[in-house]
Amino acid sequence: MTTIDMPAKASRPAFNIKREGERFALVAAWLLLIVIFGTLMPDSFLSWRNFSTMFGSQAVLVVLTLAIIIPLTSGDFDLSGASILTMSSMLIAVLNVKHGWSIGPVIIVALVSGAVIGAINAFFVLYFRIHSLIVTLGVGTFVNGMILWVSQSQTISGVSMTLVEWVIINRLFGIPLAFFYALILAAVIWYVLEYTIPGRKLLFVGRGREVSRLNGINVDKVRAVSFIVSGLIAALAGVFYSGMTGSADPLSGLNLLLPAFAAAFLGATTISPGRFNSFGAIISVYFLVTGITGLTMLGAQAYVQNLFYGGALVIAVSLSQLVRNRQPQDFS
Amino acid sequence: MYVHYRQRLAKKTALTTVPPTTEDHEGERFRMRKLLLTSLMTLAATAAFSAAAQADPMADANAIIAEHEKMPVFDPPGEAFDAKACMAGKKVLSIPISMTIPFNVELQKAMAKAAAEVGFTYTTWDNQLKSDQWIQGVSQAISQKYDVLDIAGGLNPEWLGPQLAEARAEGLKITTTHFYDVTQEQHASVDYSGAVDYTGAGKLLAAWAFAKTEGKPNVLIVGSSDVLPSIPFVKSIQDQLTALCPECTQKHLDVPVSEWATKIQPGVQSAILADPGINFVLPIYDSMSQFVVPALRITGAEGTVKIASYNGTPFVLDMVREGQVHMDIGESLGWSGYAAVDNMMRMLCGLPSVKKLNSPLLVFDEKNIETAGVPATFDDGYGDAHLEGFRKLWKLQ
Repeated sequence: MTTIDMPAKASRPAFNIKREGERFALVAAWLLLIVIFGTLMPDSFLSWRNFSTMFGSQAVLVVLTLAIIIPLTSGDFDLSGASILTMSSMLIAVLNVKHGWSIGPVIIVALVSGAVIGAINAFFVLYFRIHSLIVTLGVGTFVNGMILWVSQSQTISGVSMTLVEWVIINRLFGIPLAFFYALILAAVIWYVLEYTIPGRKLLFVGRGREVSRLNGINVDKVRAVSFIVSGLIAALAGVFYSGMTGSADPLSGLNLLLPAFAAAFLGATTISPGRFNSFGAIISVYFLVTGITGLTMLGAQAYVQNLFYGGALVIAVSLSQLVRNRQPQDFS
Repeated sequence: MYVHYRQRLAKKTALTTVPPTTEDHEGERFRMRKLLLTSLMTLAATAAFSAAAQADPMADANAIIAEHEKMPVFDPPGEAFDAKACMAGKKVLSIPISMTIPFNVELQKAMAKAAAEVGFTYTTWDNQLKSDQWIQGVSQAISQKYDVLDIAGGLNPEWLGPQLAEARAEGLKITTTHFYDVTQEQHASVDYSGAVDYTGAGKLLAAWAFAKTEGKPNVLIVGSSDVLPSIPFVKSIQDQLTALCPECTQKHLDVPVSEWATKIQPGVQSAILADPGINFVLPIYDSMSQFVVPALRITGAEGTVKIASYNGTPFVLDMVREGQVHMDIGESLGWSGYAAVDNMMRMLCGLPSVKKLNSPLLVFDEKNIETAGVPATFDDGYGDAHLEGFRKLWKLQ
C-alpha cells in the first residue's frame, strides 16, 4: 500500500499571545499615554478639541511617512522625500501667489514635479547601480538648491484659501479633512500591499531581490515604480503642507525628514512587526504626538520633547527586538 | 551768631545733627512739625503719583504704541564727520549668518549701498549657514588685508572665537551688526556693535497685547533662547506685561530655531488647548508666525486669538494685510544698513560707538499696512528720511 504525504491544508496560524502582544504593544502604549495625561489633565487633554487638533495637525507628517515607507518596503531609502515635499509646497506658492495660476493646475504641476524627481532617483539608482542612500541624498540636496533658486530664498504667503479650506478649515467630526486624506491614503497603501499583485511584488523585492528576479519579477521596474510613487506621495504631502500653513518657505519642510523616518521605523514594530506598514506608521506618528502634546500641556520644555521622541523610538524598537529574540534587522 | 549759623545750616541740609541748646527748643519743635508735615505731603504726593501711574496703565500702553505709529524721523546718532576722508582706501568684509535668509540679503544690500555712497570697499561673504564657510570668510579677510571684519545678522561672534582672535592679532577691527540687544554686553573679541532695540520692541509688543485686549491680556510668548538677544527680548515683554498688569497671565514657549518647523505649531496648539483663555500670541520673530497661524486655525482659535510680532518681514506684512496677523513691528532694513555702516565708520574714524543702532521701529497694522507695498517689501512704508540724514551726517551733502 502506498501512502502519499498530502500537503497540510493551509490554515490561519493559531493565536499566539506573544505575537499578538507585539503587534499591539505600541497601541497599548499609546492608550496608556492617553490614560496618564487624561488623569493629569482631564479637562484639557481629554477634550475632543485636543484630539481633533492632534489628528489634524500631523496629517502632513503621516503622508510623508507613507511616502517613504514605499521604497523602504522595496529595500530602498528615499532621503529626498522632505525635499520633494518642500519643492511641491514652494511650486504651489510661487505659481499660485506670484504668477496667479489657479490652484487646480498648480496642484497638478506640484504632483508631477514629485513624480519626476522620483523618476530621476530611480534612473540614477537603477541605471548606474548606485545605492539609493547616496542618490537620494544627492538629488535631495540638488532639489534644495532648486527651491532656494525658485523662491529667491523668500517665504511666500497668501496661498489660495480654497486649498487652506480643503486641508485644515473644513472638518468632519470636528477633525480637519487633512487627517481623512491621510487615513484614506494609508488604507489604499495597505490594500495595495496586502491584496494586489504589484503590492506583493514590492514586498518580495524588498525581502530578496535575487530571489524575486529568479521568480520572474522585473525587479528594476518594481523599484522604479516605488521611487516614482514615493515622489508623488511626498509631493502630495507638500500640497497639504501649503494648505496647512497657507504659505511656503524654502527650509522648514526639510525638518520633517527625520521625524518621518522615526515614525516609519517605529511603525515597523507594530501591526505587522518587522515590516514597514501604513497603519503602523500612523499609530507611531500619533503615539509620538500624543506624548509630545501631553508633555507640552504639562509645561515641559522643548528639550523634554526631544528626550521623549528619541527615547520612545529607541526603547520601542529595542523592546520589539527583545520579543523577536534579537534577530538582526535587515531593511535593505 | 551761633543760632543764625545753625539756622543757615538747617536750611542747607536736613541731615545736619547739631546738639540743641535750651533757647531754641521751641523753634526745633516747630521745625520738626514742619519737616514731618512736609514729609507726609511728599509721601502722599508720591503715592498719589504712582497710584495715578498704575491706575492708568492703558494710557502708558497707548503712549508706547503711539510713539511707534508715527512716521520715523531721522535722529542723528552722533556728531557729523567726514566719512569720505577717513574711509579712503578702507576695506570691510561682512559675514552674515546665512545668505539664504532674506533678512540678511536685504541688510547686506543696504550696507553695500551705503558703502558705495561713501566710496570704500565692501564685501559680503556669501554663505549658507555653515561654520566652515564662516571660518573661510575670516581667513579671507585676514589674507586680503581687510580693515574691518563684520559679523552680521544673527551670527554670534562667540562661535568664531579663535578665528576672531587671530584676525584681531593681524590688526583687523571686529564689529557686529544687528545681533546684540541694547542691554547686552558685547563679547571681548568685538570692538564695536550695532546693537538693536529688541528691548524696545518687547515693550511695544507687551503694550500692544495689553491695549488691544482692553487691559486683559493672556499671552503666549514664543521665543528662541538659542538666539542670544532673544533672552532680553522675551524678558522685556514679560517685565512690561507685569508692569502694566501684574495679575495677568503670561506663558513662554521656548523653541530653538532649528525646530521652529516641527515644534512651534504643536507647542502653540497645546498651550491654547491647555488654556483656552489665551488671547494673544507673541512670536518674537515674525517668521515664526507661519507656524502659529495653522495652530490657531486647527484649534479653531483664529480670530479670537491674535498674533503680534517683530521684524517686518515682507510675507508677514502680507499676512497683516490679509488679517492673519494683527500687528507686526517693522524695521527698515535700508535704514538699518546705513546705521550699521555709520557705526563701523565711526570706529575707523576714531569716534565713539553708537549705543543703539539708529533704526526706528514702526507699527504695521490694518491702518497703514498698504504703505508697506503690495506685496510688501523690506523697505516700503518707512519714508526715506535716513538717506538725507546719513548723507548730511557723513558730510556727503
